[in-house]
Parts: sequence; structure tokens; C-alpha cells
Amino acid sequence: MRCLFSLLLLAASARAAILTLQSARFIITDAKGEQVRSEPISTTHAAKPIELGKSDTLKLTFQVFDKEEGQGVQPHQTFLRFYDEVSGEEGLQPVRVASNGKAKFELNLAKPPLSLPPTKADTPLKLSLIIGAPSHSPLTVKLPDLLLPASQAPPVHPDEASFHPLPEIHHTFRPDQKLPPRPISAVFTAVVLAPWVVLLGLWSQVSIRVPYIFSPSILPFIATLGAFEGLLFAYWVDLKLGQVLFYGAGLSLATIFTGKNALAAIGSRRTGKGN
Amino acid sequence: MAPKTTPSTPKSAPSPVASLWKAYNDETPDRLKFVDSFLVFLMLSGITQFLYCILVTSFPFNAFLAGFSSTVGQFVLTASLRSQVNPTTKDFKDVSPERAFADFALGSIVLHFFVFNFLG
Repeated sequence: MRCLFSLLLLAASARAAILTLQSARFIITDAKGEQVRSEPISTTHAAKPIELGKSDTLKLTFQVFDKEEGQGVQPHQTFLRFYDEVSGEEGLQPVRVASNGKAKFELNLAKPPLSLPPTKADTPLKLSLIIGAPSHSPLTVKLPDLLLPASQAPPVHPDEASFHPLPEIHHTFRPDQKLPPRPISAVFTAVVLAPWVVLLGLWSQVSIRVPYIFSPSILPFIATLGAFEGLLFAYWVDLKLGQVLFYGAGLSLATIFTGKNALAAIGSRRTGKGN
Repeated sequence: MAPKTTPSTPKSAPSPVASLWKAYNDETPDRLKFVDSFLVFLMLSGITQFLYCILVTSFPFNAFLAGFSSTVGQFVLTASLRSQVNPTTKDFKDVSPERAFADFALGSIVLHFFVFNFLG
């Protein structure tokens, strides 16, 4: 199948007529419109490169011609190809061809087309003309090299800075806090403990009687309160929160019971006394 | 708390502060004095801890928080116990001293639970 297809292609190209380029020439004009250089383009031997200044304009004229029929042909597609062999960049610029096969292309370096690849001052662009028409076999014509001034550096994207690795982050930590010297600690320990002396001294002045504290109704309440404090102390020393909540739940039930008993006993004694 | 002394003070009285002190000593029940001395103790203890934090260091800050907040919290709980137990306070006539003490015990246990959490 593929073999048959390629055979057909071969037959088509063999029968296809041949296009040629006629009266191709280029004209270089400067910014004022004065003609600097004007030469016919030879397609057979390599010509001197076309050198353009910053504000020069290159005018390229040619006619696509069918020699057998002796008349101009309007091809389907006509492209100028700029190719930088060093950087590998290329650009394709379509060229409008009139129905009589005549074409005129203008390259104004003051307003370069988007298809022109970026250039450096010393590397020429390879210039070629690619012409395709269904009735004719395709044609690629090598044109003289194009030596252009260096293009401007591409503009920097505003977000360009954010596409680089950031400098390494170095964390700085506060230095470890230190304990004060031992004498100061000792002095303030004494100062902080001094209120206990005051408390015991004041309490010794106040004579208060707690006659029923060891009675069976009150003692359990005092004991469960003490147990609560002991539980919290044990929590500080080594218990986990879950254990404390578990033991505390049981202890609180006992405390509610003993507390209700104890306070009811005290209350009845107080109101009994009052009456 | 202390009875009004200013209108009844004769001109020969040494000073209002001294007469206030005397009236407090004479007229406050011992139970309230007992509670009051505990309040004084808490106040002094809190002040000394706070001074240590300001003057020396707050380095084990959790320990400072635990100690200072325990004194402040206990002071608040004790002061409210005192005002509810005080027979001359008219506002808490319907609250029995037993009920007040039960509240005090419950509040203290909860406070101590938080304080021991902070001790670390």
C-alpha cells in the first residue's frame, strides 16, 4: 500500500512542471530612502552577504515563472526562511505573490517582523525562499546570507526574579536562657518562702477551734480533698493526663458523697445550734 | 468588713488607721481572721514571685505562670469564700456557709488542676 502511494507521488513529481525565479534582485535603502546597494540575485553561485544597518530597509523583488509555459505563476505558498545556523533559531515569513507571479518583500529593520529570529552581530542568517504550488514541483532557492545588526536583549519578564532559587534560609535562634547564679536563687527562694512564716505566725495568733474535724462524718471529706491534692501532685510527678482524669472521676464521686454528708452534718449542727 | 469608725471617733483618738485596726481586731470573728491571714499570705506570696520575675528572670516561665496564677486564683476563691461566709454581709444571706465551702473546694481543685498542668 505504502509502496503504491510513494509510486504515485513519484509519478506526480515526474510529471510536474518546474518553477524558476526570474529577475530577482534586492535593494538596500537607508533611513532617508536613499539607495545604498542594488544587485540582482544570482541563484547559481554564492553571493556576498547582504549587510543591513540599523535603520536600513531591504527590498526583495522576484517573479515566479514557469519556463515551459512562458508565464508567471502564482504559487499557493511562498515563504522566506531566516535560519541562524549557530543558535538553530529560524523564522518563516509568508510573502504575497501577485497573480502574474511578481512579488515584492520589504524588510524594514526599524520595524522588524515578528518572524525574524534574534540575531548576533557576527553570525549571518541563512536566507532561503520556499515556493510550493500543487501544479509544480516544489522549489527552494538559496538567497545570499543576511548580516543584520545584533537584536536587542529580550526584555526581562516582571516575574523573572521569582523563577530562581531563593537564598538558603538560615534560622537564628535565641540563645538558651540561663538560670541566675545560685546565691541569688537562694535569696529569692528564702524571700518567696517567707510568707509561709507570716501565715503560720498569723494563724498562731488566731485561736480557732475545729472540734468536729475528726468526727466520722467530716473526716472522710477532708481525706478525699487531701487525696485530690495528692492526685494532682502525682500528676505533676509522673502521671499522664488520661490517668489523672480517670482517677479523678472516681475520686470526685467519692468526694461528692463525703462532702454532702459532711456539709449536711455541719449544717444541721449549725442550724441546731442557732435554734 | 470593718465597721464605720469615722463618725464615732473622738478627737483624742490616735489615728483613723489605728482605730480601724483596733476595731478589726475586736469585732472580727476568729474564723474570718483565719481566712484573712491566708489572704495576706497569698498576697505576699504573689508579690514576691512577681518581684522575682521582674528583677531576676522569668526563665522557667511556666513555673512563674503556675505559681503566680495559683496565688491570684486562690486569692479570688478565698476572698469570695470569705464574703459568703461573713455573717455581716447582707448580699449572701441565702447562701449557706456549707454551700460556700463546697464551691470553694470545687473551685480550688479545678484551679490546682490547671496550675499543676502549667508546672510542667
